[in-house]
Amino acid sequence: MQEETATTTEKPLEVKTELLKTIKLPTAVLGVDVSADGQQIVAACLDGGVYIVDAETEETRLLEKHDSYASGVAQVPGTSVVISAGFDGVLKWHDIEEKRTIRSVKAHEFWSWQMAVSNDGSHVASVTGQYLTGGYKYEPAGETEGSVAVFNVQSGDRVCSLAHVPPVQSVAISPNGRYLAAANLMGEIRVWELPTGKLLANWTTQDLTSWGVIKSHCYIGGVYAMAFLGDGTELIVCGMGPMRDPMAGNGKQTWQKFAWTESPVRKVDEIHEGDHGRGLPETVSVHPSGRFFVMAGRLAQGKWNVAFFETGTGRMLQSMDAKNRITKAVFSGDGSKLFFGVAEGQPKKKENGVFPDFGRIAIFSVA
Amino acid sequence: MKHNIQNSGIAACNPPEHTMHRRLFLEGIAKVGAASLMSWSGLFSLPAFAEQAKREQKHCILLWLCGAPSQFETWDPKPGRPTGGPFRSIPTKLPGVHVSELMPKCAGILDRLSVVRSMKTEATEHFQGIELLNRGSGPRPPFTRPTLGSVLAQQLGNLDSPIPNFVFLDPCPEGNEFKSFKAGNWAGWLGAQYGPVRAGGEYQIPNVGRLPDITASDHEEREAFRRFLTRKYENERQSAAASSQNAAFERVKGLMSCAPLFDLERLPAKDKAKYGPGAFGMHALLARHLVENGAPFVMVANGMPWDCHVMNHEIHQMLVPELDRVIYHLVTDLEERGLLDKTLVVMMGEFGRTPWLNASRGRDHYPNAWSLAMAGCGIQRGVVVGATDEDGIDVTEKPFNEKNLFATIFSALGIDPYQEYDLPNLPTFHRVEENAEPIREILL
Repeated sequence: MQEETATTTEKPLEVKTELLKTIKLPTAVLGVDVSADGQQIVAACLDGGVYIVDAETEETRLLEKHDSYASGVAQVPGTSVVISAGFDGVLKWHDIEEKRTIRSVKAHEFWSWQMAVSNDGSHVASVTGQYLTGGYKYEPAGETEGSVAVFNVQSGDRVCSLAHVPPVQSVAISPNGRYLAAANLMGEIRVWELPTGKLLANWTTQDLTSWGVIKSHCYIGGVYAMAFLGDGTELIVCGMGPMRDPMAGNGKQTWQKFAWTESPVRKVDEIHEGDHGRGLPETVSVHPSGRFFVMAGRLAQGKWNVAFFETGTGRMLQSMDAKNRITKAVFSGDGSKLFFGVAEGQPKKKENGVFPDFGRIAIFSVA
Repeated sequence: MKHNIQNSGIAACNPPEHTMHRRLFLEGIAKVGAASLMSWSGLFSLPAFAEQAKREQKHCILLWLCGAPSQFETWDPKPGRPTGGPFRSIPTKLPGVHVSELMPKCAGILDRLSVVRSMKTEATEHFQGIELLNRGSGPRPPFTRPTLGSVLAQQLGNLDSPIPNFVFLDPCPEGNEFKSFKAGNWAGWLGAQYGPVRAGGEYQIPNVGRLPDITASDHEEREAFRRFLTRKYENERQSAAASSQNAAFERVKGLMSCAPLFDLERLPAKDKAKYGPGAFGMHALLARHLVENGAPFVMVANGMPWDCHVMNHEIHQMLVPELDRVIYHLVTDLEERGLLDKTLVVMMGEFGRTPWLNASRGRDHYPNAWSLAMAGCGIQRGVVVGATDEDGIDVTEKPFNEKNLFATIFSALGIDPYQEYDLPNLPTFHRVEENAEPIREILL
């Protein structure tokens, strides 16, 4: 893999954000999506619930529950259908107008770590894999099922199962729907053609995983989120840099950009020295303009857990400490708003017999 | 208690004990004259004595789950509750009893285990918790209570045995607070001869092998000369330190003769496939092998991997299946070999983990309500004792603490839990203080 770091002297973009509102949900939000107009939010939560939330009135309705954590959710563009994924390994199709679940598909034997729906609404992909001991140094064991599953959104039929090394924690589909990327704990990234499932590229970044020296001997970290840029020939990945103590969660907040169609795959850019603090970035989302992207997650040490970066130069444009863990970031279709899925720490004391709400959706304006 | 107590070991980091650790890895030396000594009986000069000792020998294996595993993801699941985590529960061999779905093998042999779901202790930090659950009582400086392993080495062991009476298998040299504990005084007032011999994994310290230009006979002559001088010093000065030093050297000699028993490479491939491939499983297998060959006490750890303040579930989905497999094979193998009834297997960490998740998807330290499991010598089969509330926040039935636990372990092994230590000029100490009751529900 070749490496190159972008530099520029041009004046950077200015990105201004303002918190518009925060909407409470009963438990931590692990996945979030929003309609093109930014009015209808769907959220996947720790209690297994898939919620639909009106961004204006804040009215919240439970669509259905998974048998374990709901890990991801996406609106199918141009339809009233929402697809959710869970740690029960199930994908669920919900019709929010008819207020019913229209399909449940057992996608995996283990968790669905993450899911993605193509922009044309034709495919939904979900990734899985249990980290089981595969070696003396706790290298992951090989897969027992296809770690990447692709389904036809319309029919619910499985289009293909693609091989990877579990656990496969992140997945992305290119804006044009032609490419599917999936990445794992060990930083191995694979890109396939859709819908054929032909493997197009396979490379590994060593900068996003840890094998513990202090405390534990096991791996932690990996690629936690990905996003294709433009025509899909470049891919941004994010995660946490290596740590001596993998349980500390204090690796460098890191993103890297790859030109994956080149041979060998070329690292185009990565977070610039001095920009990162420490913590786990869990989500990356490209602004509809394509000119900048946001990376967010959990802050361990440093000043920010949300930061905006210029796509072309990699420069950090703005950063902030959102005070809570951000699990998912999504822009509205016109790019004027940014929606965060938020997970606060679970309250320790019950009030009137129940734990207080610790899930949030935060809505920011973006200018 | 008639044993000669070494007061010099009190509250001090004892150099002879450390010397022992280093000496274990005399790989070059150990191979000399040891190749044929692969059976326990062969290690004794009198076969009849060896057989008798083997028949009567009781053992204990401590699977030390350092860092503290989550009770929710192991023995006390709360599926569907806000605190329950993502894993479901599964039925076990015991009607109405469920464990985490991550433990299907243990679910199938729960009728051979005993589970305590109501441990309630006070230490909230690792070092204090490790101390508490290894010594069975809180600190009382400047006196250093011996660890469980040291007490059992003294009570179950045989100083004439070349196999160490206390083997500590821990392939991970690090471990934060556990590392600090490891560097401390394990044997306390019992003296260094009851400290652990550490082995396992990549643990080795360079420059301890016999120099290549020293022959085996030359080495033996030097050792004889050293022994003569230190015995003389010990006799003339009444030095406990010298006595400990001599004991340590004797153990080194024993180790040199039984070093092949520690060699993972020599274990059957079929067994390694069952327990492995991870370091913890491989060393649990080694523990079984050492017990089969007469070791009274073996403690198995692997650093401090259970301390999941970050991504608790992501780590437990890997660690618990390994633990499940290890417990299953260890218990069934010991049973098949006729050793389970005289081998106590204890599986625990220093506390449990919080019912609530922190913002990093982790569970923090929680001594208020946690679980452990035991099997084998002196322990009932298929008993689950104690209970926690629906969210696992507090113990609702039969809280037990470290003293109850130690009274149980000693009772199960036929050791008087309340015997007073013979400690001239020191305050009165007992093996278990305050006459704490054992957990009678799980005792045979």
